[in-house]
Amino acid sequence: MQNIMTLEFPLKRDMMTTIRLVTGGICSLAGLSLDESEDCKLVVTEGLLLLLRRGYTKACLSFSGEGKLCILARGSDYEAAAEDRAEEEISIALLNALVKNFTMKREGDGDSISFSFGG
Amino acid sequence: MRDMEERELFAEYKRSGDVALRNEIVERYLYIAAMIAKKFVGRGVEYDDLYQVAALALMKGVDRFDENMGVKFSTFITPTITGELKNYFRDRSRLIHLPRRVAELRSSIRKEADEIFSETGKSPTAKQLAERLNVTEEEVVSAMEAGGVVSLDQPIDNGEREGSNFYEMIPADNSAFDEIEQRDALESAVRTLSDEERQLIAYRFQQELSQAETARRMNVSQMYVSRMERKILQKLRENLKKSMAD
Repeated sequence: MQNIMTLEFPLKRDMMTTIRLVTGGICSLAGLSLDESEDCKLVVTEGLLLLLRRGYTKACLSFSGEGKLCILARGSDYEAAAEDRAEEEISIALLNALVKNFTMKREGDGDSISFSFGG
Repeated sequence: MRDMEERELFAEYKRSGDVALRNEIVERYLYIAAMIAKKFVGRGVEYDDLYQVAALALMKGVDRFDENMGVKFSTFITPTITGELKNYFRDRSRLIHLPRRVAELRSSIRKEADEIFSETGKSPTAKQLAERLNVTEEEVVSAMEAGGVVSLDQPIDNGEREGSNFYEMIPADNSAFDEIEQRDALESAVRTLSDEERQLIAYRFQQELSQAETARRMNVSQMYVSRMERKILQKLRENLKKSMAD
């Protein structure tokens, strides 16, 4: 599987516009339709917000794939999580509604989320 | 009602069918509609319209929810609202709104940037522009990125074809006849609408006003506009199908 781009950045709300723009560019490179690209941007930011709410202060976002776009986001540098179970439930339901293969798991020191679009 | 647990609340509504109770349930969960609608902002449709679609989906969802399914209402309703919003985009929004919206936003950005520059002597940041124009930073950056978009109505000024526009330069092919036929069918279908329905169509699809603004101009509620719009589209769809089949 071809790695397209990997980004490491501080996990802050201020970063989301930049991440959405980068994601939009990569979706375009990967040949996703406009609707898929919009959904992909929403899923990426929602996933990162989920990691942020879980208390991570850094994230690593990887885009890879051949034929389809695979995305993996990992949270690191954990600090105390804000408790908002209701919002987290809605986030997870939204992510599951937008991508069929959304997964979230604990790996090493942090949570990671992954999903793919297209293909 | 405020202290009732979710399960008993829905059980009570199922038992009584009380509309007032239904409305209270809807109000309790309206924040979910607002939260999800906000996430779809920036795709060329105003938040008011998205919120309206999400709120209607919520209302329908309250009637469909089975409290014995073993899931929370928020988990049940989120995909329902998301699905309705996606259907809304798929059915009618992007092709109508996006190009004009981007063009309008670019023009507003240019004006606002000039104003900020004359006020401060500095070129504004995307964040400043977003705040002044009440849009997201991403919309500002994307609209600026969408440079080079040319309106088909823009006059060609090359000294050779004065008075022409880009649209006239597009070569005609056989599909143009199909388009004329379809436009005739659409015009016939629109003629079957009442004056009020035609007025709504003009506000919503020619002037591209939001449902809220349309409601204000027609002196009716936004809910009424939303219901009427669905009814009109259904009517047009049926009339079109009929006339295309004839």
